[in-house]
Amino acid sequence: MSKVNQRSIFLVFALLLIASLIVACGAPAAEAPPAEEVEEPPPAEEEAAEPVSLDFVVWAYGLDVIQDNINNFQTANPNCEINLQNYGWLDYHDTMVGRFAAGDPPPLLYGSDHWLQEWGSAGWLDSISDNFPQVLDYDDELAPYALQGMTYEDEIYGLSYYADTIDFVYNEEQLAEAGFDSPPESWQDVWDMSVALKEQGITDYPLILAFSQEEGASIEAMISMIYGRHQGSGALFDENNNPTFNSEGTAAYEAIEWLREAYEAELFDPASLTTAELDQVASMQAGAHTFTILPQYNMAALNLPDSGDYAGSFMIGLMPGDSHATVGYVRFYAMTPEAENMGPAAMDCAWKFLEYFGGKTDNEYTVVKRWAVENGLGFAQLPLFEDPDVQEAFGQWGDVDVIAAQAELARAKEGLTPWFGTWDVFTRAEIHKAILGQQSTMDTLNNMADYWNELATQ
Amino acid sequence: MTQQQVAAKPKRNWAILSQRIYPYLSILPVAIVIALFAIYPILHAVRMSFYQYILTRPNVHPFVGLGNFVNVITSYYFKESIQVTGIYTAASVVGVIVYGLGVALLMNTKIRLSTPLKLVILLPWALPAVVSGLLWKWILNSDFGILNGILYSVGLIDNYIPFLAIPSLAKASLVMAFIWKEGPLVAIFFLAGLQLIPHELYEAARIDGGTSWKIFRNVTLPLLRPVFLVVIVYETMTAILTFDTIYVMTGGGPANSTALISWFAYAEIFKSLNLGNGVALAIIIAMITLVLIILYLRVLRTEESTVTG
Amino acid sequence: MNPKTKESLNKFFLNLLALILIIFIVGPLIWVAIASIQGEGELLSKPQRIFPENPTLANYNYVFTGKIPTSVEVKGQLVRSRISQEARLIPAALKNSFIVATAVMGINLIFGTLGAYTFSRLRFRGKIVTFNFFLGSRLIPVIAVAIPYYVIIQTMGLLDTYLSLILVYLVITLPFTIWFLTLYFNGIPEDFEDAALIDGCSRFQALVRIVLPMALPGLVAAAAFAFMASYNEFLFAKFLTQSIATQTGPVLIAAIAGNPDASYTLISVAITLGLIPPIILALVLHRWLTEGLSTSITFR
Repeated sequence: MSKVNQRSIFLVFALLLIASLIVACGAPAAEAPPAEEVEEPPPAEEEAAEPVSLDFVVWAYGLDVIQDNINNFQTANPNCEINLQNYGWLDYHDTMVGRFAAGDPPPLLYGSDHWLQEWGSAGWLDSISDNFPQVLDYDDELAPYALQGMTYEDEIYGLSYYADTIDFVYNEEQLAEAGFDSPPESWQDVWDMSVALKEQGITDYPLILAFSQEEGASIEAMISMIYGRHQGSGALFDENNNPTFNSEGTAAYEAIEWLREAYEAELFDPASLTTAELDQVASMQAGAHTFTILPQYNMAALNLPDSGDYAGSFMIGLMPGDSHATVGYVRFYAMTPEAENMGPAAMDCAWKFLEYFGGKTDNEYTVVKRWAVENGLGFAQLPLFEDPDVQEAFGQWGDVDVIAAQAELARAKEGLTPWFGTWDVFTRAEIHKAILGQQSTMDTLNNMADYWNELATQ
Repeated sequence: MTQQQVAAKPKRNWAILSQRIYPYLSILPVAIVIALFAIYPILHAVRMSFYQYILTRPNVHPFVGLGNFVNVITSYYFKESIQVTGIYTAASVVGVIVYGLGVALLMNTKIRLSTPLKLVILLPWALPAVVSGLLWKWILNSDFGILNGILYSVGLIDNYIPFLAIPSLAKASLVMAFIWKEGPLVAIFFLAGLQLIPHELYEAARIDGGTSWKIFRNVTLPLLRPVFLVVIVYETMTAILTFDTIYVMTGGGPANSTALISWFAYAEIFKSLNLGNGVALAIIIAMITLVLIILYLRVLRTEESTVTG
Repeated sequence: MNPKTKESLNKFFLNLLALILIIFIVGPLIWVAIASIQGEGELLSKPQRIFPENPTLANYNYVFTGKIPTSVEVKGQLVRSRISQEARLIPAALKNSFIVATAVMGINLIFGTLGAYTFSRLRFRGKIVTFNFFLGSRLIPVIAVAIPYYVIIQTMGLLDTYLSLILVYLVITLPFTIWFLTLYFNGIPEDFEDAALIDGCSRFQALVRIVLPMALPGLVAAAAFAFMASYNEFLFAKFLTQSIATQTGPVLIAAIAGNPDASYTLISVAITLGLIPPIILALVLHRWLTEGLSTSITFR
């Protein structure tokens, strides 16, 4: 029918018109490399009086403190203006990926060890040691796991915002009630104590973990249970990032088997499979469980007076297992190539900013120390353990000696590669299946290894 | 048509012209906004689906034809998540329709509590999906959730139930949260439909000796057919594309038992950074939705066109 | 059983059913409101008390004045450290949500009405294609277009502005508004306008003077849809907002709930406050809403 023809011609015409309008307007396709934005460096002398304005993106935690730190920084460096932007923690990675992909990187931002490879390989982050070799001076004072977490292809990509260990936490009061006066040394101890706790009706499910599929830290808890059972490196991957975990008797096999059996014996809370950090802390405060594994910074919240009947009785024990090793991780201040694109004045500010926040000012880790004292965040700068203010503050919610001892035994996650995040998301459901008894532990481990190899070859 | 009658009158040229242009002018603002945010992004998405497009390699993206679609369909999650999505969507849509129709029938009676019911029915609608997800997760918690607390207090259970940690209960909980959140809209639609049915029809049916059930089946239900159409289409789309609630409530777990296909589209793009795969999956989802809608229209459509009137 | 007892028994059961439904519908909301005035310790007890023993407004006080609840203070430490500082931004975020949603609602009414009336009454080339295009644009999962949306907004220089959210929400809501109002206008007899047109009114005048007053309930319903959809949107809001200058309620509440320094009492305060504007809207509009929908879905 001619009517139909006319209609379709109109449609095609309209589409073409609009499409050409859009193209003409120059909406850059997502593939446009950010390198296009290279501008001529502004003449430094004339611009010196004008402050440079740098965007700094964080996840929304302690925004008042961050802004206050920025104000202090700006007072000390009137030529640098920092414009704070924030996204929620749970969405931070995804939102930043969207932003990088859209070609809109901020010059300064928060980064994390488990994204570094991904972001580094994409060219989204800029090496700090390449631009500012003086950053290497800090290496000696850093915990090795933190340094490793900020290193990609032998370059340093960050100055530490905070660094923490994944800790085994127990409720001292409940444990004493069950007749135990020291924390478990091995996973057999955890089992025996759990049985006692359950039989005496102190806790129905003595162990809870934050193993919800949405919980980004679940992989860290899992790896810490594996590290504690394993001596030295190679618990998951060898130096060439080939899986070493997929055979019977490995630490990974033992760890998952233990969880599966504990689930069956009703010692391990089934709700763990849907629990995220916030609920985990609340459940512990409610006294519903005796053991858990969590990032250390939660200790301050756990022992907050008035938070429940057990405030003050939550203690850190070294990770059970032969080696007592655990996972240490680091979140850091990073920069992107955008800073360099903005010219030397911006670069100058970027370095001053990074050093003010993650390094020393007047010979003191001012900002890092502030986070530790005020918010209970851990740190990678080992000399801070000697600081009396830090010792006093940490003493409010924990035993500084144990904290320092665990920090010494902490190791970075093995297998940090650009595809670690993808693999992590996959493994969460696989581990669930083993715990629920939907498939054997070996099947889970083999699936994890197969998927890893598939990702590695891509 | 009226236009022709009007056009037949002698008028100045610009008046005729303005009459011709008016229709286009009146939809232009909408067309511009929608075109700006639909044509380019959708064309872009369709184009991307034929290229290998990994976000961490911004400058390398070879043409792979249908490769992404093959990747997605043969992926470890596809079959399972399609099943989960099918079960979830069917249960949610049937559930929300039964619930909505029930509430509407109650609101349409003259019982004392029908007015309070009318007042509160809209409230769940006012809650963002993210927030309602958070809220249900909290209520269903097995250590300090109020639902467990109440069940325990009245002696119905001896141990708190981890609703969201057992695959079958987790699915059921999500369906319940969906019904709670979407129910108001459905109920209001049905109520509106019920109020349009003339009383005389009921009277006539009653005089003919029909029982309540027969009247409901033979008079009420057929007359509600257009409402069913709107509701089923809308709720099917909503259920298939459910994202916020599940993201917050279960994160797809345990063991992927609540991971809908749309979650994997998100994960492909923002967790695995594989834009090509993610977009291909999104297109597959759009196609499935479209096919479903066409099927519904075939089955439910009244003889008259719903679009042009 | 005599018919009268049977009827009253019937009524009793229907009332009971309605009561159960009412509890199901408002129960969760009442629970949040209660939790927002409860102490955290009480909230975590087993089993919980439904009615708080020591109700407190300390959390509200913190949100509005910044005065830290005594329960959070830690002796010998700086007090602000143990409480979500972001919670203080709730009023600002709700204000943002409200402004954006109201703007989207208003624009939807103006352009939605204009467009829908044309689709309902006029014949023109490309009508069905355009109409289906509008509706079809909503078919693709928004996730697939999130990055292109970001690129467009960034190119227009609109990141972190109300306008970016308003534009995107218009794209989401306008197709529905147009569809809905077109059906609605279809249900209004044309006779009155025909008379007006013959008297020399333009189409636009006919719309404004004759049709709009008759379509009021439908417009109210469309407005409510647009408002709620914008007020509740999360995915784009989290991508397009960068600071509290534009962050909306859902974005902020989600951010607070994802932090270790959040407490359930504080989250409850956020949710409770966020409920107020839409509840007022829902209560005010519910009459028109029912009426508005009735006319629309007759499918003439």
